[in-house]
Amino acid sequence: MREELAAENLLARVAQHDVDALSELYDRYAPCVYGLVAHILASRDSAEGILLEVFARLWNESRSLSQEGGSVVAWLVVNAREAAVDRLRALRTNAANAGPQDPGTDGGKGSNAPARKSKAAVLVPPVAKSAAKSLNGKSEVMKRRPADGATTPVVGSLPMAWLPRPKEIALIDDRLVLLHKVIDRLPKPQRQALEFAVFGGLSESEIATGMGEPLGKVRTSLRAAVTFVKHRRRAVCGTWAANI
Amino acid sequence: MGCQHLEELYELYLLGAVSEEGSLDLREHLARGCPHCLGRVREAAETVYVLGLASKPARPHPRVKSELLRLISRKVAPNR
Repeated sequence: MREELAAENLLARVAQHDVDALSELYDRYAPCVYGLVAHILASRDSAEGILLEVFARLWNESRSLSQEGGSVVAWLVVNAREAAVDRLRALRTNAANAGPQDPGTDGGKGSNAPARKSKAAVLVPPVAKSAAKSLNGKSEVMKRRPADGATTPVVGSLPMAWLPRPKEIALIDDRLVLLHKVIDRLPKPQRQALEFAVFGGLSESEIATGMGEPLGKVRTSLRAAVTFVKHRRRAVCGTWAANI
Repeated sequence: MGCQHLEELYELYLLGAVSEEGSLDLREHLARGCPHCLGRVREAAETVYVLGLASKPARPHPRVKSELLRLISRKVAPNR
């Protein structure tokens, strides 16, 4: 908990344009932010671009964030995920427009990316479902391109007022390992659907198309999954009395 | 309009997974400044945070930090 609260002191210094404070925040949080965006994009070049962009934005928006009292690490994680899935959605659209001949790569020249293919690339071929890695590192990657061409709703940058407070994030950080074990207990279809939403940036209808399941079933799975995680988070963090 | 029907949507809305119709309902409701929903959206952002961190941390190449510091140093230099 102390670490998260110290991060807010660093944020206040960043808001005063203290380069050393930004450097310290970067050292502390770049690995978790980079791990997230690299998992989404599976391209080192693209992931590094997003990482740079998000920390540069933090520098520019630190004053508002500090004044609003939002958690700096929550800001980083939520905005980095959003930037990465926006990139992924753009790649999917471009790849779909280019047709099946296009390899659907992200254009990352000289990329020495992880061995796993970009999700943008694997979403293009009309192949059925398959498995790769999940929310806990054992997930599945959807290989079927959504056929309905549905537009994906995009939230845009999260308003500062919507950000969790540092104390709430500190509670979560203290129990993160347990919370991830909780996620691992989700039934497989729910975990799979959630994975596609969190790391694939897919909408309910796109997930349904990709999984070859009725929309109603996928919608129910997704809602059950987030409700499960939400209730367990409340219980684990002591903000709600419930058995886990 | 009440908020009950939005209860299951906050997390999925933040993830961008809700249909356009559901998103519109929620956006319109939030724009009216509902304090309950503001609290729930903040809570939903906590869940998104937990889910996002389910990916394993990884070490970026040091050149990213160098580039970041180079970029921001250019911005602060005129003030020094």
